[in-house]
Amino acid sequence: MQSFFRSIILLAGLFFYASSHAADALPPLTTADNLGPKVEQPIEFPHNRHAGLRDPADAGDPSVPAKGGMEINCMYCHTGARRSAVAAIPPLQKCIGCHQTINSVRETPRIQKLFEYWEAKKAIPWKKVHDLPDFVRFNHERHIQRFIFAQGKPVQEACGYCHGDVRAMTVARRSKPLSMGWCATCHQKDHPVDAVSGKTSHGPNDCWQCHK
Amino acid sequence: MIENNFNRRDFLKVLGWGGAAVTLSGCGFTSVQDGTETVVSYVEPTEYALPGIGVYFNSTCAQCDAGCSITGRVREGRALKLEGNAASSINRGKMCGLGQAGVQAHYNPDRLREPMFKGQPVAWDKALGLIDEKVKTLKGDDVAFLTGGMSGHVKVLFKNYMDALGSKNHYVYEAVSPSVVRAANKKAYGVEAPRLRLDKAKAVVSFGADFLGAWVSPVHFSQQYAQFRKGNRPEGRGVLVQIEPKMTLTGANADRWIPLRPGTDGVLALGIIHALAKNGLSVPADVAAAVKDYAPERVSQETGVSVEQIGKLAALLKTHTPSLVLAGDAAEGYQHGSQNAAAIALLNRVLGNVGKTIEAPANVPFPQIAAQGGNRAALQALNGKLASGKVQMLFVHGANPVYTAPLSLKFKENLNKATFKVVFAHYMDETALQADLVLPLDSALEDWATAVPEYLPEGAQLNVQQPLMEKLHAGTRGTGDILLALLKQRRANEYGKFDDFYAYLRNAVVSIKGALGGGGKDEDTFWAETLSEGLVKLPGSGGNLSSKASAAGLHFPAVVEDAAYPLRLIPSVTANMRDGRNANQPWLQESPDPLTTIVWDSWVEIHPKTAAKLGIVEGDIVEVASKSGSIKAQAYLFPGIHPDAVSVPLGYGHEAMGRYAKGVGANAFAMLDAVSDQETGELAMNETRVKIGKTGQRIIVIKEEGVAGGKQAGKKIAARLASDKVDLSKEV
Repeated sequence: MQSFFRSIILLAGLFFYASSHAADALPPLTTADNLGPKVEQPIEFPHNRHAGLRDPADAGDPSVPAKGGMEINCMYCHTGARRSAVAAIPPLQKCIGCHQTINSVRETPRIQKLFEYWEAKKAIPWKKVHDLPDFVRFNHERHIQRFIFAQGKPVQEACGYCHGDVRAMTVARRSKPLSMGWCATCHQKDHPVDAVSGKTSHGPNDCWQCHK
Repeated sequence: MIENNFNRRDFLKVLGWGGAAVTLSGCGFTSVQDGTETVVSYVEPTEYALPGIGVYFNSTCAQCDAGCSITGRVREGRALKLEGNAASSINRGKMCGLGQAGVQAHYNPDRLREPMFKGQPVAWDKALGLIDEKVKTLKGDDVAFLTGGMSGHVKVLFKNYMDALGSKNHYVYEAVSPSVVRAANKKAYGVEAPRLRLDKAKAVVSFGADFLGAWVSPVHFSQQYAQFRKGNRPEGRGVLVQIEPKMTLTGANADRWIPLRPGTDGVLALGIIHALAKNGLSVPADVAAAVKDYAPERVSQETGVSVEQIGKLAALLKTHTPSLVLAGDAAEGYQHGSQNAAAIALLNRVLGNVGKTIEAPANVPFPQIAAQGGNRAALQALNGKLASGKVQMLFVHGANPVYTAPLSLKFKENLNKATFKVVFAHYMDETALQADLVLPLDSALEDWATAVPEYLPEGAQLNVQQPLMEKLHAGTRGTGDILLALLKQRRANEYGKFDDFYAYLRNAVVSIKGALGGGGKDEDTFWAETLSEGLVKLPGSGGNLSSKASAAGLHFPAVVEDAAYPLRLIPSVTANMRDGRNANQPWLQESPDPLTTIVWDSWVEIHPKTAAKLGIVEGDIVEVASKSGSIKAQAYLFPGIHPDAVSVPLGYGHEAMGRYAKGVGANAFAMLDAVSDQETGELAMNETRVKIGKTGQRIIVIKEEGVAGGKQAGKKIAARLASDKVDLSKEV
């Protein structure tokens, strides 16, 4: 009888431990439309202005602020994506490289803040928006090399498979579940190996490809 | 064992329900955590730094004195993994477990982070000022230096600082070093560290040299051994015979392992010469005369090796030329250790191995940076000087004598007779605890240095040790930087022009670039290439070797038994722990000892027959007591040891140093009798007699293996054969 009670207590304890731990760790869950939580960043970086589509009304005069986007290639800033596991946040130097000559927005609050970081030679503490757990090893290089360089898909389409329509976002927000089941739905499909040969292949389904 | 009435069925029930609860509540998309972690990008990246991609830097391993060159992977500014550098003739791209653990020396949580004066943190300027004030009041002879083996430019700065103080008291100490063999080599071959060519030998007979485990340069010897064992080399597959009282890793790999009575190595060597002469090998007349009394029957009686075995050994050595006979730790650790080593060198001479498998080492063109190997006699000499009160101020670097000195030397008390003790340390170890001033050092992955290894398998080479990453702790300093600051106090006009040790080192290396083979290059190119390679091969002539091992004066005292202490203690040097300087690296504590598979503790190896006589079973906590001290440790029954001996590994049982070392196991150094080799004055490590008794406690030994030989369920998965039954002629 004693051992039975002991089991019950242990069981209840385990359940409370597990559920409290789970509740603790939970940020607001993915919403019905798969959107991740809104993330507050030190500088509200406008992806739409940099990567978004050009507004036909913009004349291209650098002294007049553009209304539309710049259509900058994602990999211009996220240089790691094609050659490393991580896409990498661009170094501050890269932001300044352009912005020191763009006088039309030099006095806006966000750019002023950017230059404050630069002058203090301090790194900007960006928050991770797409943060996979540590037991998942996602490799950007493999996906970018396949979709963009082998299949010739447009960059923003290929990045958008996982990151959504970043062109339309200001601060990036997760818009896909990034769960294992979601990854697998794509890995099970046949994809063309390259743009010309017509051969197809699907993504790896071995556990250790991601969990190593 | 935990006393509990919680039965297996309940346990499984709870496990099952609990697991289900965790599964239900813990899964789903909850692991994707957006907006919590920070991702910091560079402000101004170096051109080669790309997040997620490793950069490799060459450097030199500092875990032991073999001087292997390493390549460290650095990612996002953190050193992650060390591997061997293929350019080095020592390790040729390979690396051992000890070296792998080097990252744990760097990231160790117990590293000292700021200078300490009498237990209180103190600023660097103050610390160096205290030394300045103190040395001003002292004569040069009042100051002594105790260091580990050293070489390269740090050695030069140490020497120059001693000169500046006018001190000639430099004691170079290594608790575990082949110092007796070194002296015997000098006598027999004219050099201390001749090149050993296992790869050219047809047979190797090793008297307790654990060259695959922890002796001299194990990574290099392991590669030679691989060559030696290849069936398709011109000499055919080599035969290895290991003769030692306690089985080492090399012994476990040998074709034949012969246990002999501790200390009778020299007698056996002479007995083999006797047998060789009888078998028709031409032996010089003086040698033949010297060995005429060493007939197999007498030798067998003294050594415990059967007449048949001696005959087989002689037959093997006669047919397998060239061969190589090695003298190792097990042969040198006696009062007559020099005699043992000399007899073994004589065997090499008789067999004609000198010049064939024993070759001259390369000369190091700059003697001031050549290796100065440490020995054990240095500690005894310093101890005597401390005891007489002649040392006022002592600097200690690269040594932990309070831990490694036998208690019978009373080193700790004598140390405290010095009024000002400065210890350069990575950890608050036993010696640092006794210090007045402790100076915390950079790790080997943060510091600049150069090194010339003592054992040079090919040409001489200058190894470069360079930082793989930024310092972890702002309060540590490199050895070179500290010495440079101290030298600036005394010789400002000479050293004032160097901002730091890096500037000194670069200048020193670049200024001799012609001699280092970089004559045609400009300074920047030469320096960049040197750092990129991690080493410079020094052009230099080969040295000379003489073969003058002589039989004159060889004398082996009869083994005297001590009824009160019937057993002989063989302190073993294991590949993980060695002399215990790396004991605070948990990988080394948790990787099982290769022979016993024991982890995280000391053990006492006892022969099953001896144990049966004493009523000891595995796991009994036994007390091993000598005249000078005692330890308690778990008994481990091991057939690979002579019945008259017990063996305890060195390196365990720290009283300080850090969380992974402190209190783990027992310190075998402490109980050694202060008996020395008669010729060299080196502490004789195997001369301690012990008795062994049960304490009444028993534990379950934490180890990986099963019962000896394994439960093979009658299937002979791994066949076993007594060494008497091995026919070595079939090995060829």
